[in-house]
Amino acid sequence: MASTLPSGPSGPGASGQPDASTGHYTAFAHLNAPNSAFYRAVMEVFVQAKEQFRVHLRPEEVHGGLPEELRPATSDPVADALDKLALWGNLRQDPDTERVTAVEDFYRRRHIYQLTREGEAVERALTAYDEALGRRGALQAVALADIATQLRALLELAGQGDPDPAVTHLTLRGLVERFTGLADNARAFMSSLQRTIDLHDADVDAFLAYKDRLISYLERFIADLITRGAEIAGVLDELDADGTGSGPVGRLLRMAALREAADAAPGGQGGADPLEDSSQFYEALETWGRRWEGLRSWFVSTPDRPAQSQRLRVSARSAIPQLLRVVSVINERRAGRSDRSADFRTLALWFAEAPDDDARHRLWRTAFGLHPARHLTVDAATLEARDHEQVPSGTPWAEADPLTISPRLRRTGSYERRGRARKVVDRSAERRYLAELARKQAREIAAARARLATDGTVRLSELAELDPLSFGLFLQLLGDALARWGPRTTRTTATSNDGTMEIHLSAIAGGGTATVHTPGGTFTGPDHLVRIIDVTGGTTAW
Amino acid sequence: MVGSSTPAPDPKRLQRAARVLLRRPLLRASGDDADFRLVREHAAPLRDWFDRNTGWALHVDAETVRLRKVPGDPHDPTHPAREEGRGRLAFDRRRYVLLCLSLAVLERAEAQIALGRLSEQVILEAAAPELEDIAFTLTTRDERLDLVAVVRLLLRLGVLDRVAGDEDAFVRSSGDVLYDVDRRVLAGMLVGARGPSTITDNDPGARLRSLAEDSVAHHLDSDDLRNTAVRHRLTRRLIDDPVLYYDALTDAERAYLTSQRGALTRRITELTGLVPEVRAEGIAMVDPDDDLTDVRMPEQGTQGHATLLLAEHLAAAEGPVTLDDLYARTRELAVEHASYWSKSARTPGNEPELVAQALDRLRALGLVEPATVDGRAAVAGRPALARYAVAAPTVTTPKGGTP
Repeated sequence: MASTLPSGPSGPGASGQPDASTGHYTAFAHLNAPNSAFYRAVMEVFVQAKEQFRVHLRPEEVHGGLPEELRPATSDPVADALDKLALWGNLRQDPDTERVTAVEDFYRRRHIYQLTREGEAVERALTAYDEALGRRGALQAVALADIATQLRALLELAGQGDPDPAVTHLTLRGLVERFTGLADNARAFMSSLQRTIDLHDADVDAFLAYKDRLISYLERFIADLITRGAEIAGVLDELDADGTGSGPVGRLLRMAALREAADAAPGGQGGADPLEDSSQFYEALETWGRRWEGLRSWFVSTPDRPAQSQRLRVSARSAIPQLLRVVSVINERRAGRSDRSADFRTLALWFAEAPDDDARHRLWRTAFGLHPARHLTVDAATLEARDHEQVPSGTPWAEADPLTISPRLRRTGSYERRGRARKVVDRSAERRYLAELARKQAREIAAARARLATDGTVRLSELAELDPLSFGLFLQLLGDALARWGPRTTRTTATSNDGTMEIHLSAIAGGGTATVHTPGGTFTGPDHLVRIIDVTGGTTAW
Repeated sequence: MVGSSTPAPDPKRLQRAARVLLRRPLLRASGDDADFRLVREHAAPLRDWFDRNTGWALHVDAETVRLRKVPGDPHDPTHPAREEGRGRLAFDRRRYVLLCLSLAVLERAEAQIALGRLSEQVILEAAAPELEDIAFTLTTRDERLDLVAVVRLLLRLGVLDRVAGDEDAFVRSSGDVLYDVDRRVLAGMLVGARGPSTITDNDPGARLRSLAEDSVAHHLDSDDLRNTAVRHRLTRRLIDDPVLYYDALTDAERAYLTSQRGALTRRITELTGLVPEVRAEGIAMVDPDDDLTDVRMPEQGTQGHATLLLAEHLAAAEGPVTLDDLYARTRELAVEHASYWSKSARTPGNEPELVAQALDRLRALGLVEPATVDGRAAVAGRPALARYAVAAPTVTTPKGGTP
């Protein structure tokens, strides 16, 4: 056998082991070989044979065991494949010592083959790989029933005064096995369900064929989980009321652990007492405690942690509407109904298939028609020029007058938009007019003041005829002076509001009536002595 | 001409309503209040006009106004969907596909939807085998940005109304957004007479034709209907597109336009205030108010200025001008107008982008078209470009000597 091994640093029997120098697992080599499907079929024959407890196979037997579509006409290719697999370490090759009855058989290389440990490990790994990717996990409703049954058996054992350790151990082991299977399957099921819903494998036909069964299965499972789950939780409570493993089940777990420790202890001393203290016992007890805890937490909720089974129920239930939605999407996609949803989907496909972006922009515009109108502009000046002088319609663009572009825009790239420019009104003329007006009035008032000022003190009645402007000023002054005039006052002095004039007024006993003539009428009142002074001295600022 | 039984509308207000509608073919009562009421008030005459002259259906109800504008020229690629916000980038393949898938999802959705739910459903839709190369899984920030760009467009159009949350949080994967779905707007998104899902053509060109197909043009069994179809096509182009070149028309269209030009343009002028600029090579309905457009020329700012100056340059050139020449010219212009141009525009190496944006604008306005000179990429002016052949104003420095 050693002679068939590849030469190299790996020693005899090391084939199939990780080769430290290359990181190679040679027992996996056949997966990358050109006709790996054939190699895998050959190995499958060995796996099946092993399940039937046959260890050694002859090339003819392998040939016969191959599925028909892969079976070559003669067994020669099979023999070659077997040699190769032996070389890689998947199979062990031994000389065939059986008697032969034909000469050619005698000359043929005669060997029998069996699986090596490496080969077996590879097959197991491959099976796990295929299952993880390919299988749709199944929820075993039966498992729930089994678990319930086994728990009841445990309960019965716990009730006995002296339960049989072997029966107890076996029941516990059976329970663990069934439960592990259930938990694994549930996990696989949920992930494959999610895969189905995501449609990532897009196997639409398989999905549609499968969906009804899937949904009814889910419904049955949910119902089962509710009823059986409650039953199981009830039994669990009886076995272990407070969840610490101290209830009736505690004794059973100790028995199981004890039995395992006895198995493991080399040269077991038979007696129970020393085992109770051995480390094997404590390890085993701890393991059983963990298993039990796992089982409990799967079925029994605590306030801060819902049971796994409950979570499973929730996700299984929510899977149903999700599945239905997927079904409706698929159906719509298939039916190709001319509803708007199908229209949009068709458009999505067209956009995806369009050859370039220009084609897509065209499609967008034509299908959705949301584009704004687009037009060239024309300015008022150009328009007016055209109104004056019509451009004949046969004129090429190049010969017609171009657009007028604001020189400022052309130079700087910005301008106040045409027609919206804010007009700045020139008010300098008005301002000039107002200034002139003010100057004129000031001049007139100064003149009036000068006219009004008296040369010393005069009688009111001696005032000459006053022009309206002077008379206005005079009335203001008189008003100011009389405002200070009390019942016994005989003389008063007042200054005009703007401080330009002063008036001195004194009464004349029995002075009669004074009359002042103005163009607007005649002013009459008791005669007074009056003295008016132009404080500005007749000169004005202007 | 309006031929309506309603009392004669105020022509100025009718004109404003028509312009609003041409600028924004989809209006909502909430959000576009004044415009909406203006259009609704004149719904009857507007519906009559568009139906008779363009074959566009005007749908008006208490919530929405929608003018179903089928383009007169389905081959014009210068009207892309654009993202909201500053970049205003045109949509790309992924975003268009996501937009349609989102609409498909919203069509089935309830009255409200969360962005997270929308994205889940879009992922489901994108998993359809025909779309497999889109591979939309929403795992990267870019994909989230794509979806958010789509959602923001739908928000602007009014298909969605934001109720709570903001999209930036969704991009950072730190939050979700809740929307109301406006079914009426959603129902009015598509314009074609035929639903795309009933069209079986496989070639993009044929699909486009089928989409734009008219119910009228569909049965060409009389001179009358043929004429109507031609009138619709011509009016659509005149009312929607910047320039209608005669050389782009079929013989039948040209013949109809020759005999009916006055009537066609007069009707448009009456409705919109646009003025015909009739030249030997074609017709442009130009806008004295300068607001019935999405692309302005001339326009302020560095970009608009560069576009104007490059247009001048192209108009003055004899024949096509290579891109390299335009880059060189842009460099000169940047120096010449250094004090007015933005810093980024003056940075050497930015010419190609500046030129590309300018050419996009000129192409969108029907003023230039791509060409080649000795196998190099170039641009050729189209006749209407001559409108911008502006002589440089008296320049005091002798710098502007180059043609």
